Amino acid sequence: MAPKIAFLIGLTLAGTAFAQGFKPTRPIEVVVHTGPGGGSDLLARSVVAIIEKEKLLPVRMQVVNKPGGGGTVAASYLAEKAGEPHTIGFFTGVWLTGPLTSAEAKVTLRDLTPIARLVLEPALIAVKADAPFKSLSDFTSAAKEKPGQLKQSGGSVTSRDNVVRQLLQRASGGRWVFISFPGGGERIAALLGGHVNMMVIEPAEAGEHIRAGNMRVLAQVSDRRLAAFPNVPTLKEAGFDVPAVPQVRGVVAPPGIPAANVAYWEDVFRKLTRTASWKKYLEDNQFEDGYQNAAELAKFYDDFTGTMRGILQEAGVKIVR
Amino acid sequence: MDVLAGLMHGFALALQPANLLWCFVGCALGTIVGIMPGLGPPATIAMLLPLTFLMNPASAMIMLAGIYYGAKYGGSTTSILLNVPGESASIVTCLDGYQMAKKGRAGAALGIAAIASFVAGTVGVLGLMFIAPPLARFALAFSSPEYFALMSLGLAMVVLLAGHSIVKALLAMLVGLWISSIGTDLFSSTSRFTFGRMELLSGIDFVVVAIGVFALGEVLGNLEAIEKSQLLPVPKGLRNLLPTVQDLKDSRFAFANGSIVGFLVGVLPGGGSTIASFISYGIEKAVSKRPEQFGHGVVEGVAAPEGANNSETGGALVPLLTLGIPGSGTTAILLAALVLWGFKPGPLFISENPSLFWSLVASMYIGNLMLLVLNLPLVPLFAQVLRTPAYVLYPVIFGVSMVGVYSVSGSVFDIGLLAGFGLLGYGMRKLDFPSAPLILGLVLGGALERALRQSLMMSEGSLSILVARPISAVMLSLAVLVLLMPVFSRINAWRQKLLS
Repeated sequence: MAPKIAFLIGLTLAGTAFAQGFKPTRPIEVVVHTGPGGGSDLLARSVVAIIEKEKLLPVRMQVVNKPGGGGTVAASYLAEKAGEPHTIGFFTGVWLTGPLTSAEAKVTLRDLTPIARLVLEPALIAVKADAPFKSLSDFTSAAKEKPGQLKQSGGSVTSRDNVVRQLLQRASGGRWVFISFPGGGERIAALLGGHVNMMVIEPAEAGEHIRAGNMRVLAQVSDRRLAAFPNVPTLKEAGFDVPAVPQVRGVVAPPGIPAANVAYWEDVFRKLTRTASWKKYLEDNQFEDGYQNAAELAKFYDDFTGTMRGILQEAGVKIVR
Repeated sequence: MDVLAGLMHGFALALQPANLLWCFVGCALGTIVGIMPGLGPPATIAMLLPLTFLMNPASAMIMLAGIYYGAKYGGSTTSILLNVPGESASIVTCLDGYQMAKKGRAGAALGIAAIASFVAGTVGVLGLMFIAPPLARFALAFSSPEYFALMSLGLAMVVLLAGHSIVKALLAMLVGLWISSIGTDLFSSTSRFTFGRMELLSGIDFVVVAIGVFALGEVLGNLEAIEKSQLLPVPKGLRNLLPTVQDLKDSRFAFANGSIVGFLVGVLPGGGSTIASFISYGIEKAVSKRPEQFGHGVVEGVAAPEGANNSETGGALVPLLTLGIPGSGTTAILLAALVLWGFKPGPLFISENPSLFWSLVASMYIGNLMLLVLNLPLVPLFAQVLRTPAYVLYPVIFGVSMVGVYSVSGSVFDIGLLAGFGLLGYGMRKLDFPSAPLILGLVLGGALERALRQSLMMSEGSLSILVARPISAVMLSLAVLVLLMPVFSRINAWRQKLLS
């Protein structure tokens, strides 16, 4: 009991220092845009578990699923909660790219209050182990010789998979087909079954297939080599001067909350990213620490949206804003 | 480790009191979740995930798997009693199950559902145990053209679901296909038929449509006849409530059919239990000696789909455990759970974690037995629901339907949709349109379209890819045969007339 009281006092002091008195008094509603078990949902539930374990908040947190419309339903829900201090949400890059292509989206990430960026998910470019391609340039030259013959499995046309393809096609002059599969499992099955030639895959998904000798990695979509893949070149090292498009995840709050609240939440999540449990979580999932504070995150929105708009336009996707 | 030694080791672990307890907790939770329309195993497992960090991974896996297959047992309950499908996989069970209940055979329907679930669930585990690795390689041979052929075969089942008029059944199926196209197109990110509503961007969940058309449509239809309607007959005495020996005899083929179809479709990463249940129902009707009675309450029409959706569980674990490839929402969460507990699901998973694998397999035998013992005594209890007078029962069905739909999405918009589909179901009933083809079109439409477009991308626009690949060619031929069945039976009838 004693450490708990000491902790609460400590927290109150910290709270006053950072947030001039804002302290949540009711359970926090944590909004995610996927159903239970989706990427954002699992991240949110893990964050909640770590925050509770490390006692970073004086109240409980409750994950609320608002699936639909590629994040637009959750974003609108947060916008409706304007000024509400006990609600936060977990966003991904989809919240930025989705509104670019759908006129129905009434709220974009920029209408909400940025809190923190938490995670960057790097990716690998993988082929089946018995494929003839030993390097990424083997693949792109083959795609240049026989345009449209090679195939890549991936998610939707606005996904990172397709963005990486667009960038590589532009840099190499090769051309290959992008086939959308709704589920991650189907994408991997299509590659391992030999129905497509290449895919952009998350490191945690690929690791075991590589170890079992079913998959080979040609390059990593990351600015520096990941600890688990020290011998695989990054895109730049493989000779492709293209940006390593990250899959990004972070936290936002409803519009119109006071600066003190923003500071409070920033502090909670900064403390979170320094805990050992968080570092272990990142390591288990092979994510990168992508921590940015509210001001940096706001700037990141603009850069990211601008880049994505250009890439998607070039890919022939209809942009509505 | 050879199979027998592995299984003995697995039973030794699974029979430890703590694991037995967790197995029971999972099965009981699964049954409850299955009975409640809307809330499904993926949501339940995701919510329990943080709790499992405190548990030993084998116990946690045993419990989560228990929720997964336990829900398949419970799902049939509301389908049979209230015409409200508890899970998407139990939609087909409504067709004959609810008709049985109306004839006073609710107990037999519930009983046969539990027995079929037990038989097929056990066959599914046997399949998982003996033929998982070769089967996983077979699953990889399936790609978009094969899925297109599989979905076409499923759609061809429409001629078997048709009532009096094939034309009306086809029209209803077309409406279902259209509803499946609502939302954001995966390939171009274009919105289709969203009418500017962001709620429609991710499409319409077919649970909303199924509950609206089946449950609300049924209630609205019965309201007209309220002054005439009497309580549904419920026979007294336990013996009269359980399936008869004749029921079991009639269901013999359905047990085998459901077990095999469910397992095979489950192994395919793009399959799913809903499709498995439709296909096994179609097969059952196609080979039946009394196809004209399907849809009017035949016991094998409950046994086949209920078996299929249970056996699918064992099948779906094959690609998950042998390849690390999840094929459905629930297996995707189980995969995430394994990662969170520090395992690395993939091709080496079983050989490196034999204890976990075998204790899971053993626990599934135990769990299926527990579920049978848990569910059979509940049958008489549940059958009493039908003694409720209509003025109580119908509002309860309305309430259960709305809570079910709201619990899936938390969206009031979906409740409006539910009301709309209830009216559609009522209209279809008045005009004598069958509702099952509508659901069939809706369930298969999205996957069918995706598979066709993926195939055409693979072949650069040439349709020949669909018939050039052997598995796909065989299934498409089967689909054509099924479509021609009404023609065959007409020729047959004509020949018999000539002969006599």
